[in-house]
Amino acid sequence: MDLGSLEVEAANAPKDGTNNQGVYIYTPADQSKSSGERPSKRRKVAQKKEEEQDGSKAHPFVPLLNGEEDEQSVEARYKTYQQLWSTQEAKIQEILDDVDSEVLSNVSSFVRSTSPQTYDGCIPAALVTVGSNVSSLARLLARLNDQFTTAGDGGAIVLESGDAPNLKTTLKNIIRFAITNTEGNDGYQSFLTDREGPRLLGYDLDLLGDYVKRKGIKKLVLAFRDSEAFDPGILTDLLSLLSSWLDRIPFTLLFGISTSVELFEGRLPRSTVALLRGRYFEIHEASNCVDRIYGRLQAEQDGKIWLGRNITNVLFEKSNDSFQTPEAFSRTVKYAYMSHFFANPLAVLIADEVVPSMRQGLVCEAIRNLPSFRFYCEELIEQGSAKQVRDLLENDEFLFQQCLQHLKDGQQKMRDLFQCVKLTHLLLKKLSLVKKTSISELSIRALSGELQDSQLVTDILQSAKTLDSTTLLEVLNILPSTLADRPELQQVKTEFDALIQSYQGTEPLRTAYDKRHSVVATTVVQQRVKLSKGKAKLPQEHVEYTQLIDRFHALLEAYFEQTLETPQDLVLHEIFLFDMRNPLKEIFSPRPRFAVERALSNPFDYLISDSPEKPEAAARVSANQPATSILYQLYLESGSLVNVYDLWQAFYAVFESEQGDSCDERTTMALFYRALSELKALGMVKSSRKKADHVAKSAWMGL
Amino acid sequence: MLPSEISRLLSKQWPCRELQTRQLASLLGPRISSPSTLVVHGISATCKTTIVRNVLAALEVPHAIVRSPECITGRHLLTKILWATLEALGKRDEWEKYGKGRCEHVSSLAVLLGECLASLSDSNSNSSNDKGKFVLVLDGIDKQREAPHTLLSALARLGEVIPSLCVVLILSSSPRPLFLQAAGVPHISFPPYTRKEAITIILNAGPPVVSGLDDGAASRLYPHFVSAIYDSLVGPTASSIPTFRSICEKIWPQFVAPITNGDIPPGGSNEWDFSRLLVKNRALFRHQGEGALVHHIVTEESAPANDGSLSKPSMSVVSAPSPLPSLPYFPTLILTSAYLASHTPQRLDTIFFSKFSSSSLSARNKRAHHRRRLKVLSRAQAEDRLEASRGPSTPSKKGKREKTRITKSTLESAFATSSATTSAVGGNAGITGPSTILTARPFPLERLIAIYHAIDPNPPANPIRLAAVSDAIYAELATLRRLRLVVPAAGRDSGGRMGLGSGGLSSGNTTSDAGEKWCVNVSGDWIGELAKTVGVEVGEWLAGGLD
Repeated sequence: MDLGSLEVEAANAPKDGTNNQGVYIYTPADQSKSSGERPSKRRKVAQKKEEEQDGSKAHPFVPLLNGEEDEQSVEARYKTYQQLWSTQEAKIQEILDDVDSEVLSNVSSFVRSTSPQTYDGCIPAALVTVGSNVSSLARLLARLNDQFTTAGDGGAIVLESGDAPNLKTTLKNIIRFAITNTEGNDGYQSFLTDREGPRLLGYDLDLLGDYVKRKGIKKLVLAFRDSEAFDPGILTDLLSLLSSWLDRIPFTLLFGISTSVELFEGRLPRSTVALLRGRYFEIHEASNCVDRIYGRLQAEQDGKIWLGRNITNVLFEKSNDSFQTPEAFSRTVKYAYMSHFFANPLAVLIADEVVPSMRQGLVCEAIRNLPSFRFYCEELIEQGSAKQVRDLLENDEFLFQQCLQHLKDGQQKMRDLFQCVKLTHLLLKKLSLVKKTSISELSIRALSGELQDSQLVTDILQSAKTLDSTTLLEVLNILPSTLADRPELQQVKTEFDALIQSYQGTEPLRTAYDKRHSVVATTVVQQRVKLSKGKAKLPQEHVEYTQLIDRFHALLEAYFEQTLETPQDLVLHEIFLFDMRNPLKEIFSPRPRFAVERALSNPFDYLISDSPEKPEAAARVSANQPATSILYQLYLESGSLVNVYDLWQAFYAVFESEQGDSCDERTTMALFYRALSELKALGMVKSSRKKADHVAKSAWMGL
Repeated sequence: MLPSEISRLLSKQWPCRELQTRQLASLLGPRISSPSTLVVHGISATCKTTIVRNVLAALEVPHAIVRSPECITGRHLLTKILWATLEALGKRDEWEKYGKGRCEHVSSLAVLLGECLASLSDSNSNSSNDKGKFVLVLDGIDKQREAPHTLLSALARLGEVIPSLCVVLILSSSPRPLFLQAAGVPHISFPPYTRKEAITIILNAGPPVVSGLDDGAASRLYPHFVSAIYDSLVGPTASSIPTFRSICEKIWPQFVAPITNGDIPPGGSNEWDFSRLLVKNRALFRHQGEGALVHHIVTEESAPANDGSLSKPSMSVVSAPSPLPSLPYFPTLILTSAYLASHTPQRLDTIFFSKFSSSSLSARNKRAHHRRRLKVLSRAQAEDRLEASRGPSTPSKKGKREKTRITKSTLESAFATSSATTSAVGGNAGITGPSTILTARPFPLERLIAIYHAIDPNPPANPIRLAAVSDAIYAELATLRRLRLVVPAAGRDSGGRMGLGSGGLSSGNTTSDAGEKWCVNVSGDWIGELAKTVGVEVGEWLAGGLD
């Protein structure tokens, strides 16, 4: 939704917040326009624009807390959101730019190094498999185009399947894109008209040939962004045409392939395949990119709010299971951020500057209603500090100061948590304990508080005991600052350095727990061989090293225990941890079919019923329901072919049973016809060819 | 220049076309009045265009050549003809005189060309005594797009209307009798090269240079090698000269690799002769050679010549793209259910997919029975076809059938791929095995969703959540449709042999009706592999699939 319409809506919205409700009665916003008037398009709209400008000063957020929130807080919420998101967005963009740079350099060197001559007259073609990461190709091409246009020796034309309904239009588009790419739209027009000789047809490649000659273009990359969606017939024609022009226009083709190269080749005729030759490139899967984005968003040290476990789950479920671009992922995250600031009045506490009016009782009242606050108070009472609880409940100023402190602590704890997740990820990789882990997976476990007791952490601690000195050095280097800055660890480190300095051996130091230091002794006791494991005598350095490692292990264990707290246990976590799944689910995976089916089968879920019937009675078919809904429920009871006369009889019976003799058959029949045609319009029934007086059922409920 | 001189001149560069060169030169020679129309025909890669072009250049006759495949419409062609003529006559700057460079109909072309050429004959008659002549070559005119059906015969008449014009039509298909609606048009045929000619042409270029092989040995071995290649690969597949050449160039370095690597020849002799090399390289002809016949877009950069043939396959394995696409989990499952919906008869749905009877013994028996029956049915169908092709005289005894099973199964798949209604696309991924002999049938979307629920390997614990799935399926299906993996059935029928779902619907169009039928558009093996990655065994569900 664009911002403009949001603003207008917000301005028109009644203060009771009906526009945030899921179900409401629709009243058209602008009733001044009657149907007889001229359409607004032709009227002068200067006045309206002014109005809009007035509106744009305000922000789309509405006052919360029953509308009693003051303007400053609302603005503070909006501003904080804007600030926060713009920094996050910059980070995302950075990752997106970075992620394909390797492929980009490969492709661009391919384009520069190949020519029809090197390929015996075939068109050089780069096949880029993008998998489900559909949008990556567009980014890649935009950057490729930038490279070429700045170098001044070519350009990249991106063609989408929509641009190619037939050969003529395709050629026209190719020529237009190529010329407007460097000359702009006016340049294209003047190129068409200001030339010697007769005016050429728009689809004549002579135009492009001329352009290439004039500009001295060496490489013209023609990219088919979604090559599978192109009509193969047009593609075949186009390719044969391009190959016949290859001596005048230096084409290089680039195909974005979402399925597989083999399938792509198989769909083209052999003669067309014979025109192409080239190489194959692979763009990384979207999930890789998404993982990096998520890690960056959550684990950065300047984070202020975090996405909770449920949202993370939804996000990754969607990006792993279906076609989703990294852009769509970041939009979803943006929505989550936005809805947090939009709907949570306490989000104002995250704002950098303190809004003076915030200390009002209203906010404090809201804080006192938080579940985590209540839990905290109960805990305090159990600890016996009733005085403090009383202060919290009665003294706004005290509460406020305490809150800010808790908020800060909580945020720091979240940062530490993600630091710890990062460390876990790195350690797992370094110690090669698990084949594949991702930050996202670990984050989900950490956010639900399961990481601490998990096998992974136990494994890490286990293997920490057997670290040799070289690995320990590497591990010490990757420790996050919060752990590394502890004095105990500093001491371990200096002692370790000293030990290494004095140690002369070539082999790294090993702990006593290392398998290499255990010795198997064989003894024969009563004609049985007994194996007993014993520790070998250790040199002095190794003993010292073992002691060091013991201390390190203890430190690490304590660190894990401290940081991997369940975020839901933190006081005031509602403010800095956003974890509501439903808004995201409803917005990003709508269920229109479910809604239609529910509306038809239980119309009173949506309609306000005036009838004196009890709610449970409304579940039955009754004449009070809309006709379409009645017919739909009757239709649900039938098989795949429905006799229309039977349907009518049943329909009539519903009315007859309730209205008795007063039931008018003609009116009912009219209702029946209307209902049936509405069902038809909804795609539920269609006329059957098998039997003339039957209709076929074409939709089943609950699929 | 006399025709024989020209033919001698050109045959150095383009050998084995002396006859055609002579014919062309004598028909188009500057002092001779040429026929008004001339047809040059022959299959592709028979040197038609090159010979015509060079003969005209050698004769120094004013001429214009228009490549008709480059013209998008009939009008485009006519305009191009006009400009090419103006350009050839050096009147490019006077275009405004001749219909302002526009030409929308053949009749106006006749008038405009007449005007252009009238001035030609005037000016020429002053300078020399021969009649001015202009040759217009229309290359590949039979492949013209959007040509009006009268175009060919009208173009053939141009020469009659304008006396100084000679139109040369180059066709790549063999002409039907009287296709120009005019009798007595001279035809010059460019037949495909014979074995001897083809080998001569390749040998003319000389052996490709291979480091470590001295010229004497190369020139001794190369002729044998080329004829062996022709007999084994090129001749039987009726390939063209360029293919022949590229195969020779590709295989030659590997063929002589034993010499360049300094291997010791077997049999006590101290020199490699052709037969020893051939015996050594038997496998090469099979694998590399047959691979070379089929062009692929992605080919390996040929390994350095001194590299053995052994290192090559490993290289190609490393960088070969994966045959399977990386579709996400959900679309893969949808594609699998679409495949199952396409390949299971609808009346058997309750038996195969219903969850109520899935565990009972009788249901399993029933399913097995139907699978067997369908399998027998499909095999019987294939055999019927086989019988029919063999002719009625062949005895059809059971015992004999058993014996010839291997050849039959190969034939079976051959039949399956040649039939127009198979579900495979493009044919190379192909149909193998009896399971896919049943052709892909269209199915309504509701059935797809129902089957999806039946085969879902991780069904949701809470069945109430099911409702959202169908809406999610529609979204993914739209993407699958864009990838042309699942297509609306109506489009598929008109898509012709390729089954590409192009007909009528423009590619951007993704609207669909609830009642509309859909069809899967890829071959079975491929989907089977793909389904395994999400944990669905296709054979378990498919009629006649498992056993």
